[in-house]
Amino acid sequence: MAVNEKALEEILNKYPAKVKRNRKKHIVIRDASQGHQEIEANTRTVPGIITNRGCAFAGCKGVVLGPLKDVVHIVHGPIGCAYYSWLTRRNKAKSEDPKKNFLTYCVSTDMQEKDIVFGGEKKLARMIDEVVEIFKPNAITISATCPVGLIGDDIQAVARAAREKHGINITAYNCEGYKGVSQSAGHHIANNGLMEHVIGEGDWEEPPGKYTINILGEYNIGGDSWELERILKDIGYHVQAVMTGNGSYEDLKNAHVAQLNLVQCHRSINYIASMLETKYGTPWLKVNFIGIRSTIESLRNMALYFGDPELIKRTEEVIARELAVIEPQLEPYRKICAGKTAFCFVGGSRGHHYQGLYEELGIKTVLAGYEFAHRDDYEGRDVLPYIKPDADSKNIPDLHVTPDERRYRLKIPKEKMEELKEKLPLCHYKGMIPDMKDGSVIVDDLNHYETEEFIKVLKPDIFSSGIKDKYIPYKMGIPSKQLHNYDYSGPYYCFRGAVNFARDICMSFTSPTWNFAVPPWKDRPLLEGTIAECAAGETCAG
Amino acid sequence: MHRNEVNTRHCRNVNENPCNMCMPMGGILPFKGIEQSMVIIHGSQGCSTYMRRHIAEHFNEPVDVGSSSLNEKGTIYGGAGNLKQALDNIRKVYRPRLIGVLTSCLAETIGEDIDGIARDYLHERGLADFPLVTVSTPGYGGSHAEGYWLAVKRIVAKLARPTEKHAGINVIVPNLSPADIREIKRILELMRVKYTLVPDFSDTLDSPYTRTYKKIPEGGTRLADIEQMPGAAATIQLGVTVDESISPGHYLQNEFGVPLYNLPVPMGIENTDLLVNLLARLTGGKIPVILEQERGRLLDCMIDSHKYNARGRSVVFGEPELVYAVVKVCVENGVFPAVVATGSRSARLEELLKPVVAECPLEVRVVNEADFTRIRACCRDMGVNIAIGHSDGKYLTEKEGIPLVRTGFPIHDRVGGQRLLSVGYVGTTMFLDRITNTLLENKLKNYRSSMYQKFYRGVEENNQCSVGS
Repeated sequence: MAVNEKALEEILNKYPAKVKRNRKKHIVIRDASQGHQEIEANTRTVPGIITNRGCAFAGCKGVVLGPLKDVVHIVHGPIGCAYYSWLTRRNKAKSEDPKKNFLTYCVSTDMQEKDIVFGGEKKLARMIDEVVEIFKPNAITISATCPVGLIGDDIQAVARAAREKHGINITAYNCEGYKGVSQSAGHHIANNGLMEHVIGEGDWEEPPGKYTINILGEYNIGGDSWELERILKDIGYHVQAVMTGNGSYEDLKNAHVAQLNLVQCHRSINYIASMLETKYGTPWLKVNFIGIRSTIESLRNMALYFGDPELIKRTEEVIARELAVIEPQLEPYRKICAGKTAFCFVGGSRGHHYQGLYEELGIKTVLAGYEFAHRDDYEGRDVLPYIKPDADSKNIPDLHVTPDERRYRLKIPKEKMEELKEKLPLCHYKGMIPDMKDGSVIVDDLNHYETEEFIKVLKPDIFSSGIKDKYIPYKMGIPSKQLHNYDYSGPYYCFRGAVNFARDICMSFTSPTWNFAVPPWKDRPLLEGTIAECAAGETCAG
Repeated sequence: MHRNEVNTRHCRNVNENPCNMCMPMGGILPFKGIEQSMVIIHGSQGCSTYMRRHIAEHFNEPVDVGSSSLNEKGTIYGGAGNLKQALDNIRKVYRPRLIGVLTSCLAETIGEDIDGIARDYLHERGLADFPLVTVSTPGYGGSHAEGYWLAVKRIVAKLARPTEKHAGINVIVPNLSPADIREIKRILELMRVKYTLVPDFSDTLDSPYTRTYKKIPEGGTRLADIEQMPGAAATIQLGVTVDESISPGHYLQNEFGVPLYNLPVPMGIENTDLLVNLLARLTGGKIPVILEQERGRLLDCMIDSHKYNARGRSVVFGEPELVYAVVKVCVENGVFPAVVATGSRSARLEELLKPVVAECPLEVRVVNEADFTRIRACCRDMGVNIAIGHSDGKYLTEKEGIPLVRTGFPIHDRVGGQRLLSVGYVGTTMFLDRITNTLLENKLKNYRSSMYQKFYRGVEENNQCSVGS
């Protein structure tokens, strides 16, 4: 079943007129014959709509900074935000020195009313002293929660003073929750801070290996990055830094020496990718290690970039070896999955990345979307010059970097680069929409109401999103797969990860449990209750 | 000799691995226990997203919490417009009969006049009688425990009307599991009590799988019943640790003269006896045979297990109200607590614990405003061998090898937190079995190897003629 314009109108008609106008721009039915299709994204959420979006703090401390393992991440604010971002993303890390892995610690200034009234700078400064003394970390980050900016605590000054005092890297991030329109603002703030104060701090001038790369936008959820690094090392790459899954300050500070940056999650890390290109002349390659075909394509593109016949040969050997292992394993799963349909609504990149893997298993993605992505994640980076900055995006300062006089060097000659750009997604991302099949639905910032309604219309066999919305399909008798934390499973990357994913998805389809839960549309309506009409004078919409 | 260390201040500036959450988190839960109600957090949307995530993971249920999605503009010009839009949209899509508005750090720091906005809104929309319950819950104002009680008090205060006296009894419960609430209701029904229990999220946050998805799940305390609470013959509040300023029971007593019986959570023989005896006295009824049998079975369980329990040296942590009740169970059964901790600041808990702790043969450390780093250090000092509390205590298992009996809120690393039954004679029996079995499991896990190490290996070294293990 597909959604046509009429069905879409029916869903949206239940909104107040202004909300309808707003939400309509965030929903696109794919129609390749129209050529380029536009979607609205990265604009304010309508208040009172049950969104899945988080805040700038979540994007900064929770997503980008949090996984750095040899760093103590201080949350400056009342206790809640520290607690809620305490290991909630399943970003795994192991450390050669067990004393330098601080991921299980949740460290907060636990601001009280008196701190709000009199300011919390002194408390923060004292606390940094204690953290240095207790943990002896390689670096410290300080992330601000809502009240910090409002009461005017100058956390940058506190960080500067502490840096002087202790002689270690201490950085502060003004990622108060109200900044921007979603966690996306926090990614940007974290990218700026890491670029300005961490990357390049190291004294290395030359790459330590022949093919030295960084992996950007990879957070090691359920061990993804470990599986990827196994393959890359096997082929012969030297992974300098992962940003930021299983990452460390020690590796990150020398990330400037890499010859190529891989970008997995475009949304959360594209700022650093672009800035590394400007500052050090390192190009970035859009990769996707979720799904077998896209993994193969990404590995081949990397080999092609370096252009070494030995590397190309080794790449093919590893691909062949891995395929030989997984193909027989996948076969029974493909039989179970064939002909099924899925919703794929995740974050800022996985909503796109998982579609290929679903397809390889025989599952069609009928609805996809991102929580907090921008238009370039949907429509591709060609749209960047046409995105109008608004009040919210202007509030997040852009960091302007210039070529580093000493360290800037072209990694490959200009002409060669132009030639490669024709063949590879070098410094380019084409977005999700071009990969979507005609008739499928793209929804930005899907909310609870629309989730229910689209499930009713499209009747997917599996719903994939996060924990906040997973219990809605459950209550409707539909399996759900958490693609944020993988339901305590993983890794799902590369070849062997694809088998794990297939196994987990098939578990949902074949569990006898569902035999007892008849899908509700078979004989009864899914939703009870009616929607009130908007009384005159009500401003229902934002 | 006892040495009761009482520590009411952080000795350090760091809160390292917190043992509590923030105020609005606690404020959400009571609204989920009111029929057809919705709740909005006035602040940036991260607050409601984070809290929904944590509540959903504990209860395994959809948890819809709105947000006014305040952004930078709101911090300068105020958030009234956003909040009003949020209220309009929530009303339109959910058609709730009551809406709670909780504030956040952001709203409170910029000085939002939440009551003023609510008044204006109702006036502008011509909704004078709509129950819009505002609760001031800045994240820095207290822990989730205080947020919970304040929200209950505000709900009662908003709905309660002067009403004719009736024979009903108000029952106000703390943050218990839905299964616990159902058990309390069963006891009330066995005792033939006509009651109004607030907040009742026994169905809404543990809803049966039905064929039809409902945006707001069935169940919750009826609004009409809360209105009648001032006419009740008595209020039984399971909230001995609650400060009077946020106590709904005290509110009903002071405003409407409803006699208040503040009791501990009915966990353990003595605490459950208190409730059952009080119900018998208030209703003039007899205690039904079935409850006497359940009490007898609990005693039988206690006797069966007492030798195993005697080896237990416990740490108890969590929300003050639950901590007090669990400590009572521990003391009744000889699993004497060595460390008692709460992340909240509760002077009342300390007072209440004094006579209980005095019964303990060994030293007990009571730590207020505790974090897990402090709790862990105390456990190590005191030789604790069993932990009882919410799932963040898993670090005590991982780092110190102390097994954890999960109880309370939140439980994130196991399923079924909503189904854990621990109150009444039946619940205590099940709770105690969980404690005893954890002690046994830990003992048996090490039993053979420790015996082997202690006796057999020694023999082997002395006599060369040993046979295989």
